Amino acid sequence: MATQARTSDADLALTERLRLEVERAVQRGLKGIELMGAEPPTVGRTPKTVLHRRGTVELVHYHALADEVYRIPLLIVMAPTNKGYVLDLAPGQSLVEFLLKRGYDVYMIDWNAPTAAERDLGLADYVLDFIPDCIRRVQQDSGEEDVNLVSYCAGGMLSLIYLALHPGGPVRNIACFTTPIDFSQMELFRAMSDEKAFDLDAFVNRNGVIPADFIRNGFDALRPASRVAGQIKLWDNMWNDQYVVGFRMMERWGNETLPVPGGYFREMTKELLRENALYKGTLTIRGRPVDLKQITIPLLHIAAQYDHIVPAACSQPLLGMIGSTDKEEVTLPGGHVSIAAGANAVKRMWPRLDAWLEGRSV
Amino acid sequence: MIPSLFLDPLQMWRDAINRLEGEANTMATGSLKSPELVRSLQQATAVSAGMQQGFDKMVDGYLRRANLPSRKQLAELVQTLERIEQKLDRLLPPDEVPRPARTRKPAATPVVAPSAPAAPAQAAPEAVAPAPKANQDASAKTKAKPAKTAKTASRSRRPAKA
Repeated sequence: MATQARTSDADLALTERLRLEVERAVQRGLKGIELMGAEPPTVGRTPKTVLHRRGTVELVHYHALADEVYRIPLLIVMAPTNKGYVLDLAPGQSLVEFLLKRGYDVYMIDWNAPTAAERDLGLADYVLDFIPDCIRRVQQDSGEEDVNLVSYCAGGMLSLIYLALHPGGPVRNIACFTTPIDFSQMELFRAMSDEKAFDLDAFVNRNGVIPADFIRNGFDALRPASRVAGQIKLWDNMWNDQYVVGFRMMERWGNETLPVPGGYFREMTKELLRENALYKGTLTIRGRPVDLKQITIPLLHIAAQYDHIVPAACSQPLLGMIGSTDKEEVTLPGGHVSIAAGANAVKRMWPRLDAWLEGRSV
Repeated sequence: MIPSLFLDPLQMWRDAINRLEGEANTMATGSLKSPELVRSLQQATAVSAGMQQGFDKMVDGYLRRANLPSRKQLAELVQTLERIEQKLDRLLPPDEVPRPARTRKPAATPVVAPSAPAAPAQAAPEAVAPAPKANQDASAKTKAKPAKTAKTASRSRRPAKA
């Protein structure tokens, strides 16, 4: 009797499963047609004001969402290869919105595609001009002397170089995620840019501004099957509106990878990837040595356990290299992007960042 | 739902896709460590980029002769117009953007993370790494610093275009 009941339940489960799959198949067809004519998803909806734009650099100020904000303004520094809206994808999936609601006064250095005239911009322009200029503008706009930094990926690396060259500057605290320091750990990027295989100077001279396709293909080469697999998974989940919206936002962000100035690309490849100069302490910017020991302000570094772009080992030496006594590294489960954006970031990284920053923002 | 006695072919297919993706990625990244392959890839990239540039040049030449702008020129024109619009916006009387007082103190209550819909970004295991103890001294030092007087005036600015 019991066996018969179990078989009957199993049949029911099979029937339910079949019904569900038929429903999903119908939905896939209908939504797939809708998707073909759909507009690109709207991103970066948090209200903001562009404070300053000069060529590739753009400084924005997000409108406050709290009745009372912390004294020290927060400046987010994005990586020059990607648009900052990955941190402001949609309401409820926006680190910027979260920080605003938690009472921070948020600014962001975002980047635009460099023009042909900006082909020769190099690391020095970023760390001796763009970042200090934006910090001055944040000070002016907020009326506060102190500024806190939150930096992502190469934005973290640029911020650290800036801090090492401006030890007495106005930055009080820095939190950075997935910051490349020891480039010898980025094995694939190093292999791809090996001087025996890649004529860097000829490539840079020919292109001037390095095309976005080249940068995107470089990232894709680290996980070459994921783009195709992503499309298959999208089809499989086409019935699920939330999945489709999330996928399209991330896809849009990936497709809008930015071109970079040839000068910056040349220095990144030659000095950092090939020579590993930041880690070895031999990097100089306009003749000034970059010594990370000069950084003495409190620092939080958040690494992603499954990061395929900046492996945790690549950022691990950071804490040992800086001069701060108040320093902390946290490794959270997640990938290079999911550490900062998406459902996992909401649960893990954002509250961690807030807990570290709040006491240091008054 | 009661577990079925029958295998789920769609779930098996999904598992196979995930496994294939992982294996293909591992194999491809392993191959990229070979200097010969990287050299061949770079050569292929250089040839393809050269061809692309040659083609672009040819199209540009044709468009110039036909007295037509290229897509790239139009995009640059749009960007220039956007920049001019933004600069003009800054010259117009600005909208009021409220500036709250800078008097906030850390909340005594723990952070409650907002609920977010599931995003398809790389899935990660649910386990959370143990959080290292925060440096209380430094935190206390910062907290001890007196907060400046709140700015009450609401300075005005113009919001960015969507």
